[in-house]
Amino acid sequence: MNDDFRKWWAVPAIVIPAMVPAAISAPAFAAQYLTQEQAQQVLFPEASRFVAQPLRLTPEQASVVEKYARVRMRGAEQPVWRVEAGGRHLGWFVLDEVYGKHEFITYAVALDASGAVKGVEILDYRETHGGEMRQAAWRAQFSGKRYGAELRLGEDIKNISGATLSCKHISEGVRRALALHNVALK
Amino acid sequence: MTGTRRARPLLGTLVEIAIEDDLPRADTEQAFDRAFAAVARVQALMSFHDPESELSRINRVAWLRAVTVSDDTWRVLTAAQQLSVASDGLFDITVAPVLERAGFLPRHADHLPVSGHGNWRDVVLLPGQRVRLARRVRLDLGGIAKGFAVDQAIAQLRDAGVVSGSVNAGGDLRVLGNPTHTLHLRHPSQPTQLLPVTTTHAAAATSAGYFQHRQWAGRVCCPIIHPGTRTLCDARRSVTVFAYQCLIADALTKILYADPERGSRVLDHFRARAVMLEPVVHSGACRVFDSAA
Repeated sequence: MNDDFRKWWAVPAIVIPAMVPAAISAPAFAAQYLTQEQAQQVLFPEASRFVAQPLRLTPEQASVVEKYARVRMRGAEQPVWRVEAGGRHLGWFVLDEVYGKHEFITYAVALDASGAVKGVEILDYRETHGGEMRQAAWRAQFSGKRYGAELRLGEDIKNISGATLSCKHISEGVRRALALHNVALK
Repeated sequence: MTGTRRARPLLGTLVEIAIEDDLPRADTEQAFDRAFAAVARVQALMSFHDPESELSRINRVAWLRAVTVSDDTWRVLTAAQQLSVASDGLFDITVAPVLERAGFLPRHADHLPVSGHGNWRDVVLLPGQRVRLARRVRLDLGGIAKGFAVDQAIAQLRDAGVVSGSVNAGGDLRVLGNPTHTLHLRHPSQPTQLLPVTTTHAAAATSAGYFQHRQWAGRVCCPIIHPGTRTLCDARRSVTVFAYQCLIADALTKILYADPERGSRVLDHFRARAVMLEPVVHSGACRVFDSAA
């Protein structure tokens, strides 16, 4: 393999010119792990009913949540489901999304009846160049099919070995879900 | 794509587990739970961030008295020592203070100042799974524990009866069942551009600065320390190592990143392969260096 005549780290095996589609494939990576219904089942297998109960916080509540979670509330409304099994209250299913510098993630937090985190599952993950995902047009192409439709993009890409994407934003989101429970679901 | 995939936030990244078999649903769910639990266990034991972890306990008291550790932590510390020996110190788990100074790791209030002269040789592994620090050094297993977690999750999948699947912890990954598979490597300066590489190694890991670089001492740096100079490495290139265990792949990326020339000798020892990608400034091209070429 490595001999004295040719040092692999000194001589490139190949040089890929900029943006040659044959060598460097596909734009962004995307994966859908669970639909909203599947995530509900996975996080609450024993549940019999999920009652949509979207949360609209008053400005006062929002500011308490922000203070506790140390992150800003984004939308005015947070999708939340009350989870029941035969009339018994099991907990809450909170749906949320985060925009990172490189990624866009939809995920769900399951809280038990006491408000403790029971589990976190990623529903949808997609990544792209930083700027694009803040553009409304870019986001609009996913609207309406975010929680259901199959995504074709990048389906053949199974495994990417790349450096770590931080899940800091999800940790913040989980903290926000806990704060929401404290302020509005107790 | 057949099979089922799940992802959960663990180890400070997204851990994705895929099961490609056609198993009954309950079995698939159980296999996912076991594999994710294995990753969560490694996180609970070896997190630098968590003051309750076994690693934090070592960092607090092992320079005063020997600390008895779990089987898992012992295995990782033993492997780390072997890698340090094989690489003549290019792999070193005592670089945490440099990462703290550069902001890549948190500072804990109860951490005492380190001596500054210690290295991996000061981590003394004693009989009875006991660890003692000969100097006031601080350990970070961030360069190896993630790979170990992936190996543990794969073992759980196999025990749960899964024949074909994979575990990917933010780019440190291992496949189960598929002898030849294709991985995609990110272009170091355009990380959404992917380069496919086919390999027979079950595991791979990548070190690169593209998602976590920082300005430090006037340079763009990534969280990899050159143990010789104790400074941060440049963030421009990426190094992927293919190996038969993810722990080995994970640790070898740190060695190769710090010193490709000396690191190459270690590659052969572990029957591993390295692919290094280096962007050409201005042109947008990418040089691909491959130890198997």
